[in-house]
Amino acid sequence: MELDRPLPSPITPEAKPFWDGLRERKLLLPRCQACGHAFFYPRVLCPRCHARDIGWIQASGRGKLHAFEIAYQAFHKAWKIKPPYVLAMVELAEGPRLMTNLVNVEPDPKAIKCDMPVQVVFSKLTDEITLPLFEPVR
Amino acid sequence: MKALRDKYCIVGVGETEYSRASNRTTRAMAVEAVRHAILDAGLTAGDVDGMLDYQGGDSTLANHVAPDLGIRLNFYMDVMGGGSSTEALVGLAMGAIEAGMCQTVAIYRSMNGYSEFRIGGTGARAAQPVRGLDLAQVPFGMRSAGQNFAPTFLRHMYEYGTTSEQVAHVKVAHSKHASQNPKALLKERVTVADVVGSRWIVTPLHLLDCCLETDNATCVIVTSAERARDCRPRPVHILGVAGRVSKPRLDFHWAHGPITRVAGYYAKDIVFGQAGIGPDDVDLTGSYDAFTFTTMLQLEEYGFCKKGEGGHHVSSGVIELGGRRPNNTSGGHLCEGYTHGMSMVIENVRQLRGTVDDYCPKAAEGVHTYDYAPGRCRQVKDAEIAMNLGWAMPPLGSALILRR
Ligand SMILES: [Zn+2]
Repeated sequence: MELDRPLPSPITPEAKPFWDGLRERKLLLPRCQACGHAFFYPRVLCPRCHARDIGWIQASGRGKLHAFEIAYQAFHKAWKIKPPYVLAMVELAEGPRLMTNLVNVEPDPKAIKCDMPVQVVFSKLTDEITLPLFEPVR
Repeated sequence: MKALRDKYCIVGVGETEYSRASNRTTRAMAVEAVRHAILDAGLTAGDVDGMLDYQGGDSTLANHVAPDLGIRLNFYMDVMGGGSSTEALVGLAMGAIEAGMCQTVAIYRSMNGYSEFRIGGTGARAAQPVRGLDLAQVPFGMRSAGQNFAPTFLRHMYEYGTTSEQVAHVKVAHSKHASQNPKALLKERVTVADVVGSRWIVTPLHLLDCCLETDNATCVIVTSAERARDCRPRPVHILGVAGRVSKPRLDFHWAHGPITRVAGYYAKDIVFGQAGIGPDDVDLTGSYDAFTFTTMLQLEEYGFCKKGEGGHHVSSGVIELGGRRPNNTSGGHLCEGYTHGMSMVIENVRQLRGTVDDYCPKAAEGVHTYDYAPGRCRQVKDAEIAMNLGWAMPPLGSALILRR
């Protein structure tokens, strides 16, 4: 199957548990074992206290749409999805915000509102990569 | 804090033609822009002994440009960066001179921003692999600057009720200014209806909310106030500078704090503190207009209006020629051409000299009609203090305050 979007490559050691979790349809977030701070994206140390002991928690997969944009033009050669598509900045119930796509919704500003509740849907693209996309909670 | 206020000046400014097909190398254009700025200052190549430039792997470095001009350097540096670099490099030039490393610094930016390296990853940049920080955005189709900034713009509309029509006034005002600018790439005046009726690029940005892509080189020359007295034009003094001030998160700016906040929130106290003035003292601004929204967000963050009232502010007539504090009187990046900020500093220098290159017959001698009808004057009357608000991204900005 031809891929319709560019995929993360290479996967860094810091981010490997994140992608491993997605393969099992779990949205994992790095959390500092020293101070309890949950953050995104994965990195080598806690951005709050600099501890290197990073654990992982399973996020609820629920959150709010903090902001969104409907893209009518794509700028990446490997991006084959036909615009318009929805870029979504989701604030997870656990706190961290991540960029994703809002799917299973009309790409129409009238159908999408800031702060609307959203939930994760897992989109398997290859044996290695499953992406966390989000949809409105109905 | 105020130790360097008034001790340094911008003495020369210059550029090449704004076009979409320069048919020249960035090297040839840089040489011409620096040459124009040297002539403007009334200096010779031998008087310039410092050079700074900024680029993103898309330009020619100083080690080629200086020798082409016969300039022997005591100091130079090539800096990675786009928007917000101009003001920062003016500050670095002051620092280099203050440290005794050199005496007069030429700062240039040369880019074939349309014919070679286009914004947003089309053209030569499109083939870059996904890696590093791109991980969290490229798989979702986020690539261009507009896409990167749009969450900030959209959330501002949601939280403060800002409308597309209000923000379109930035383009309207800048198009009015460009119609008085013989250099401008787009000289035609547009209406609010033109802006909101143009096609979507990415919500909330219509085509006409976005700046032009342009081939161009630009240059400003910085030296001490003492040396500036020997230069040809009226010296323009540097009151304060803030260089590449950031929000807590530079990479995923939307991941931290209020996303409607932009870097000016942190930069304003630095630059106004040095200058010893406040927003009310500023006669004209150059608030970076990569998009209509960026001008609005910065004016608001630097205190030219209250936070959240930017939409009302930019649609009130304040930012137009003839208004209380015109912004980007050259037409800016939306209408004159895209230079990653340098042209807005050049314009403010010319405004403070009283010699902007409009259609007034004796503009070069400082004689203006102040008639802002199409195809006439764009000189701001009695402009004494100008401010540049440089923008790279929502979390990164610079600022510069100049006086005549
Ligand atoms: Zn910690």
